[in-house]
Amino acid sequence: MSRKVLIAESKKCVGCRICEQWCSLTHFGTINPGKSRIKITRLENKGINIPTICTQCSKAACIEACPTEALSKDPKTGAIKLEKEKCTLCRKCIHACPQGAVSIHPTDEYVLICDLCHGRPKCVENCPEGALQYVPVEISDRLYRSLVVDETAKGENSRG
Amino acid sequence: MVKIGAVQGQILRVNLSTGQISLEAVPGEVYEKYLGGRGAGAYYLYKELVPGTDPLSEDNKLIFFNGPMAGTMAPGSNKINLTFKSPLTNTYSFSLCGGHFGPELKFAGYDGLIIEGKAKEPVYLFIQNEEVVLKSAKALWGKTIPQTNEILKAELGGDHNLKVACVGPAGENLNRMACITADWYREFGRGGGGAVMGSKNLKAIVVRGTKDVNVASAPKLANYVRELYKEFKAHPKVYARRWYGTIEMLEGINKLGFWSTKNFSEGYFAPGEEMIGPKMREQVIVGDGSCYACPIACGKISEINSPKYGKVLLEGPEFETVGLLGPNCGIGDWETIIKVTQILDYNGIDTISAGAVFSFAMEAFEKGIITEKDTAGISLNFGNGEALVAMAEKMVKREGLGDLLAEGVKVASEKLGAPELAIHSKGLPPATYDPRGCKGMALTYATSPKGAHHMISPTMGAEIAGDRFADVGKAGIVRDIQMQMALVDSLGYCSTMRFVYTVDKQVDLFNLATGLNYSKQELLEVGERILNLERLFNMREGFSRKDDTLPKRFLEEAMKEGPSQGQTINLQSMLDEYYQAMGWSEDGIPKEETIKRLGLY
Repeated sequence: MSRKVLIAESKKCVGCRICEQWCSLTHFGTINPGKSRIKITRLENKGINIPTICTQCSKAACIEACPTEALSKDPKTGAIKLEKEKCTLCRKCIHACPQGAVSIHPTDEYVLICDLCHGRPKCVENCPEGALQYVPVEISDRLYRSLVVDETAKGENSRG
Repeated sequence: MVKIGAVQGQILRVNLSTGQISLEAVPGEVYEKYLGGRGAGAYYLYKELVPGTDPLSEDNKLIFFNGPMAGTMAPGSNKINLTFKSPLTNTYSFSLCGGHFGPELKFAGYDGLIIEGKAKEPVYLFIQNEEVVLKSAKALWGKTIPQTNEILKAELGGDHNLKVACVGPAGENLNRMACITADWYREFGRGGGGAVMGSKNLKAIVVRGTKDVNVASAPKLANYVRELYKEFKAHPKVYARRWYGTIEMLEGINKLGFWSTKNFSEGYFAPGEEMIGPKMREQVIVGDGSCYACPIACGKISEINSPKYGKVLLEGPEFETVGLLGPNCGIGDWETIIKVTQILDYNGIDTISAGAVFSFAMEAFEKGIITEKDTAGISLNFGNGEALVAMAEKMVKREGLGDLLAEGVKVASEKLGAPELAIHSKGLPPATYDPRGCKGMALTYATSPKGAHHMISPTMGAEIAGDRFADVGKAGIVRDIQMQMALVDSLGYCSTMRFVYTVDKQVDLFNLATGLNYSKQELLEVGERILNLERLFNMREGFSRKDDTLPKRFLEEAMKEGPSQGQTINLQSMLDEYYQAMGWSEDGIPKEETIKRLGLY
């Protein structure tokens, strides 16, 4: 297990959407939130911001759902690869993704899925809050566990 | 028209009387001579508004305009400006709003939006790229800001990423301090733009955009911005804003004795020592929020769990809000300040102007000018938090005395026969800086085209570094900062950016984004042009030197105690110096040669 994956920490996200800008710029040379593969949603009623990211599942549901074999894995990075011309916009991958991380290009007929910028994700590099990390998959569980430990420590009862 | 990078080159014009929606190209001159934002707003309002227009009539206009930098990678460059004639001051007015609404409009393909006329029935405007429609807002009328947001999101397909700017009940019932609120907690706050929108029967503007913003040189701009991020990281002011928001200013202003206290009768508030940034962070701040493309995140999410008011969670309160609702009303507890902020935010009212009308009412109550008969039994003394909450609720509903207070401090004080207790200039109350402790702010408040607004030329930093009590020599500082702010407001930068990147870097970013090649001097001249055009608008409405004034309290009553003790303001000599520096006549009218030099004819 040497591949790396994206992880996001909602609590650290302030909703500046600088990650969206770098994603759009890197892939399309323009700024357009509709062309970003990472998406930030602000929930004003709760005062929080939630990043939506591709988590690079090892058995990727999007690939399995695709009826035209437009999706595959990049053997080097483990990122999802799309052959645009095979995409029919049937949207099965959108519904299959447990993260909601597949979106549709605003003008062209194909889906947008994170490609990890060929192993150097620009969203991670430019996040001013350190809310995004690119870590080896085998340690990608640690942060979440620590967050749950912190939450449990705050309350009187233990979990489980 | 010249090709300019970063801008979309077009705006929407929506006539609510006829229902006509048209797409309009923006003349190149607007970008070249006024840039966008506040400058473009001044251009259109001066050109299109008939002198003497009643601000609450269908002839008034709402001109929303982004700066050219909106939607680009330039950090903190997404303040959208709104220009209108103010129902609070009857002057030219503008207000800038952060958050995510401005860039969303730009991503929908528009630099701006002009609203005119008046709808027969409540409507809202929905903009999704080329799709622009007016829809019925009957079901939204009377709803608060959060309710309006929730209902609209549900009605328009449940999309969390719609960006909404709307009015609350205060805008609908023509409260002259009503604001227009974007993303729940970001406001076009000052001057009563919300009342103008309410008078037009326009409840909300909903935007969703997925178009490109293309700059002249994307890779160069990106590299420049990446270097700037490093400066942000290292800057002490950014650290203070990141953790304490605008409250970081509280400690210094209070210590220097010019923090608005008890209707601006004092300048130091002892309980303020317990309200400073780090203590606020410990007591009420639970999270942080950023405007689009800003690496600072000065927005603070605060929460109280109050036995009296239950759980209240909101973004804010900002320093100005805290100053006006806190010490200026004699209040030093977060529970009251946050609760009153919530009432005003949810109903869509400018917290600065509201704070000043409450503090006026408190002083009038203590002096016996209004009594418990007028307040329906509320003991409206300074420091009575429950009374402040109750009066805020009355004002929102325009109930009893609250109905009069909703007219703003100028009208309310005149009707009650106590204009000397009303703290404002041209009808707009000042922010939380008592100008007796920082004389440039006196000139700022007096000469501002929209009434006593601090951000016209926030001279505090420059003055504290020198002699803040001197009045000679302040005209130059005020003039220079006014020009810089007119530039910042027109490019779309947040004023906080100026701590990190100076005018030189703003010029670099602008040139990289637009492909133009402006010098710093040329851009500052744009700022000067805007100031003069704003002045010409107000002149046309009958304003002149006689209106560039301050409350008697600032001019004649010496600060009683504290570090600014003994200070009053010699406004007339400062005005002479300022008009001269601006190339204006003794009566404050731009001279022919100034107008010609700036290409205003």
